[in-house]
Amino acid sequence: MQRSSWLGLAFLSPALIVVFLFFLVPVVLTGFFSFTNMSTATGVKGGAYVLNASGLRALTDAGLPKSTLEQIEGAGYRVDAKGLEALALDFGKPVAEEFAKLHEGEVFSKRRDVERALKDLRSNPIRKTRDRKQAADLFKRSLMNERFDSPTAFEAALEEAGIPETDRPLITEVAYTGWVWTTDNFGFLFSLDSTWQYAKNTVIYVVFTLSFNVLFGLFLAIATFYLPAGQAAAFRAIWFLPRILPPVLYIVMWRWFTWDTGFISTVLSGFGVPPRNWMLDTEFHAWTTIVLINGFVGASMGMIVFSSAIRAIPASMLYASEVDGASRLQQIWYIILPQLRWPILFITSYQTMSLLTSFEYIYLATDGGPGGATEVWALAAFHTALNNYGGNLQYGLGATYALILVVIGLLASLAYLRLFNFRNLLVKPRIEG
Amino acid sequence: MRISIENFTKTFGDTTVIDNMSLDINSGEMLALLGPSGCGKSTTLFAICGIHRMNGGRLLFGDRDVTKVSSQKRNVGVVFQNYALYPHMNVYDNIAFPLKVRKESKAEIDRKVQEIATLVHIGELLQRRPAQLSGGQQQRVALARALVRKPDILLLDEPLANLDAKLRLEMRSEIRRIQLQTGITAVLVTHDQVEAMSMCDRIAIMDEGRIVQLSSPKEMYEDPSSDFVAGFLGNPPIAFLEGSVDEAGFRLANSEVTLPVPAGITLPGPGSAMRFGIRPEFFQPDNALKVKGRISFVETQGREELYDVTLENGAVLRSIQTQGGSYRVGDEVTWGIAADRILAFGPDGDRL
Amino acid sequence: MKPNFRNWPVLLVLLVFSAPLLIMLAFLLVDAFTTKVPGTMIPNGVTLHHFRFLWTDLDDGSWGIWGVTLNTFNFALFTSLAVSAISLTAGYALSRLAFPARGFFLGSLIVLHAFPTVTLIIAIFLILQLLGLYNTLIGVIVVKAALELPFGIWVMKGFYDTVPWEIEMAGVQDGASRFTVWWQLVLPQVQPGLMAILIFSFLSGWSEFILPMVLAPGTEAQVLSTYLATMLLDGGTQADFNLFKAVGLFYALPVAIIYLIFQNKLMNIYGGGTKG
Ligand SMILES: Nc1ncnc2c1ncn2[C@@H]1O[C@H](COP(=O)(O)OP(=O)(O)OP(=O)(O)O)[C@@H](O)[C@H]1O
Ligand SMILES: [Mg+2]
Repeated sequence: MQRSSWLGLAFLSPALIVVFLFFLVPVVLTGFFSFTNMSTATGVKGGAYVLNASGLRALTDAGLPKSTLEQIEGAGYRVDAKGLEALALDFGKPVAEEFAKLHEGEVFSKRRDVERALKDLRSNPIRKTRDRKQAADLFKRSLMNERFDSPTAFEAALEEAGIPETDRPLITEVAYTGWVWTTDNFGFLFSLDSTWQYAKNTVIYVVFTLSFNVLFGLFLAIATFYLPAGQAAAFRAIWFLPRILPPVLYIVMWRWFTWDTGFISTVLSGFGVPPRNWMLDTEFHAWTTIVLINGFVGASMGMIVFSSAIRAIPASMLYASEVDGASRLQQIWYIILPQLRWPILFITSYQTMSLLTSFEYIYLATDGGPGGATEVWALAAFHTALNNYGGNLQYGLGATYALILVVIGLLASLAYLRLFNFRNLLVKPRIEG
Repeated sequence: MRISIENFTKTFGDTTVIDNMSLDINSGEMLALLGPSGCGKSTTLFAICGIHRMNGGRLLFGDRDVTKVSSQKRNVGVVFQNYALYPHMNVYDNIAFPLKVRKESKAEIDRKVQEIATLVHIGELLQRRPAQLSGGQQQRVALARALVRKPDILLLDEPLANLDAKLRLEMRSEIRRIQLQTGITAVLVTHDQVEAMSMCDRIAIMDEGRIVQLSSPKEMYEDPSSDFVAGFLGNPPIAFLEGSVDEAGFRLANSEVTLPVPAGITLPGPGSAMRFGIRPEFFQPDNALKVKGRISFVETQGREELYDVTLENGAVLRSIQTQGGSYRVGDEVTWGIAADRILAFGPDGDRL
Repeated sequence: MKPNFRNWPVLLVLLVFSAPLLIMLAFLLVDAFTTKVPGTMIPNGVTLHHFRFLWTDLDDGSWGIWGVTLNTFNFALFTSLAVSAISLTAGYALSRLAFPARGFFLGSLIVLHAFPTVTLIIAIFLILQLLGLYNTLIGVIVVKAALELPFGIWVMKGFYDTVPWEIEMAGVQDGASRFTVWWQLVLPQVQPGLMAILIFSFLSGWSEFILPMVLAPGTEAQVLSTYLATMLLDGGTQADFNLFKAVGLFYALPVAIIYLIFQNKLMNIYGGGTKG
């Protein structure tokens, strides 16, 4: 290999590492996660074996015999080190020592038996019934809410409690708190009505915002091209601002503009219209604001790209058409627009992709409201996996939503690569040494 | 330092640009690589300096095989067409750069820079930035930078292409003066035949990746090996008459006119195609071998006048004459060709 | 050009569409410094009360504005430095150096450049948890830098592409190694590109909201965007927009300054195709 090869790879390696860690691995992991049931409850790192109330309910639903369930709840009274220690703490060392000598290792099935044994202690009996009850409870052993770190420890405990072997695997499975592999996410996702609602919302969002972006971007570019330089520069500067202002501040301004204490309400109240939240009161208003919020940002990109494309049209072509007597509209239609074919295609494909996956402005403005009317696919993925009111974040299901976007994003970028003729970029380096 | 290119082949992807070329350049000689655009001159130059790797063949500097040696170690100075001065350094730093890379001492660098600046006459420009220099001055700086580390070989890729006509004339003789003064082996790439003829000891004329002829300018002008070479050299260019071999000698196409064939050449078989090349200075009113035609174009060049004469069959001969003939377009003339200066070419374009 | 066309209808349409923006901007400035009677738009007094967050704690559990500002500055600065440094070498390699699979890397760059990165945030969230970088500023910086990188490399490659090959060829002939050529001859020619990326990624980091919100929700790592967003989203109906606007103005001040200085340059870069 040539020396410059090594230099090339060395120069590229920091970028490669970063790209590997934060693009390649996440893409692959999104795929993996979408085949798991990971959530806040299961954690990310694996889990333990615990039976709790909801686990018991699941077992009941699964049709486990009542006797087995009872065995789980009350697995008897065992005189073991743990119980003795507690006994020593509460009732003094001598009591514990004697009780250990007589009964250590024994298992009583009823509390009454334990109480009797305690009463029968020769040197230091516990007199009061209430105390005996309390002391006996120290030895109560139940499988409920006890944590086991490995399946073998858990199964051993089941065996000791005398739970029939046939029921054990199911109990172990239910008791596992970590995540497991599953293909249920996909079926579940498409069985939800809300999923189709998200898809529909996304289409509305992309189609309307994109139309606004492209058409208004075109209008801005052409208008500022014909306006006197000073005015044109002023408008370009104003329209560039939404893009450069921090999104949060931009949304603060929009909220102020549309909310019931804000600009529109205040101005209209002067005409007798009662104040209301113009952003969230109806679905139609919500969508209008969302499209405008995103459109005002997106139009500036169209404006800039189209403006520079128009400026690249040879002035002689425009003069010639004017001499031929074309009106401005004809000039725009026959000369300017045909020259903008590629920039328009570029903006359209580029923004389709980013709109499809963006949710920042919607999250800050309506957060999907009112009533999920503006909840787009990407926002749903975000809500499911990372941010919801219930507090149980379903990473696995969220990743499934995201995976669909990742796949669309990858396909679209590949199409984009073809469309904009990648081969042209592949110029060989001219120094070969 | 003598340069030997042996069986040099260069391909870019599937296209072979240079095929099996061999060329020897003598020590201290200035050689021109002359040819039309795209014929592979720059490619050859880049192979000599090591920017391009050779796909086949060997390259020797003196007795040293440098085929696999990196550019940095070949000790070749190059002047590029656009000069490639480092825009962020002033002239002094530009010239000093090759010495700094070699970690020479400050005093040494200073001495060498001053010395070379004097040689190329830019002593007073050392503190300027390249952007503040005229084209000719940039050219001198580039030359100084290429020469300051005493390279074994100097390569010049169309060094005069970006200069205006007057500067070009001046720099032509300057480059030659500096080359002679330093005695360096130099290769000049150009597609301007005047440049090649006026500056170089020998010319290698190239066409489509091959060297067509290699000889001194005078020899090449008077004794071209093919119609391509004949057509490439000379200004105003040579005129060609198409025709075929006939029992009387050479018979013009679409015409009854025949011309005698120069002595001592072997003719191809009767009926086969042949062309005559006649240089403008050998088509004059008082030469012996007369042909009749009508003046179709007159160009006054100051000291001389150039006439195009259209013969009866539509072919055109060119004549250059010192002023005073006062012929006009449309005049019927009968002028003569210097029979012994006719260049005859066979069907494949080779000299007969 | 010939006056066969009047400008005022176009101007009118432009003004109507720009009105919301102009109103929002005007009242952003006015409201931050004034008081007014509720239910009207007309200010009736000048005050700095809305800027009290600068010198008193707002008692909302946040970290204090100066700590948050410092976080934001560090976040933007280190993101910008990382992106610039990595783009500087990677862009050169892709533009000028020959190495195996170069075409593949170039193709991947374009795919990455067009690839919508928010889709990866769930996986990145989990990766940071596994790496133990969750809820730290460093974690967010690394992620933000990574996501900005394809754009940075792309822009830098574009700048390298405009450096004449002859300069590098001359350098090599002068005896310099490819590294020296890059460092001493090529880098000075791409300084505008470096500036562009530094500024661009600084602004991008300064404005970033989603990443800090998801990847570092704790108060220790809070930045101005999450600070303001928390106010905004928790405010409910009692939203104190004067306060929000004052915070917003404070937040946007560096952006405005940079915008005023580099306006034209920025427009060119953003036109070069960025997210959004
Ligand atoms: N990197 C390259 N990849 C593919 N083809 C190339 C490359 N460089 C040169 N060529 C081709 O090789 C041929 C010779 O090119 P070269 O630059 O040597 O021509 P030249 O004689 O210097 O022409 P000019 O007078 O125009 O400079 C041309 O047909 C050119 O298209
Ligand atoms: Mg060339």
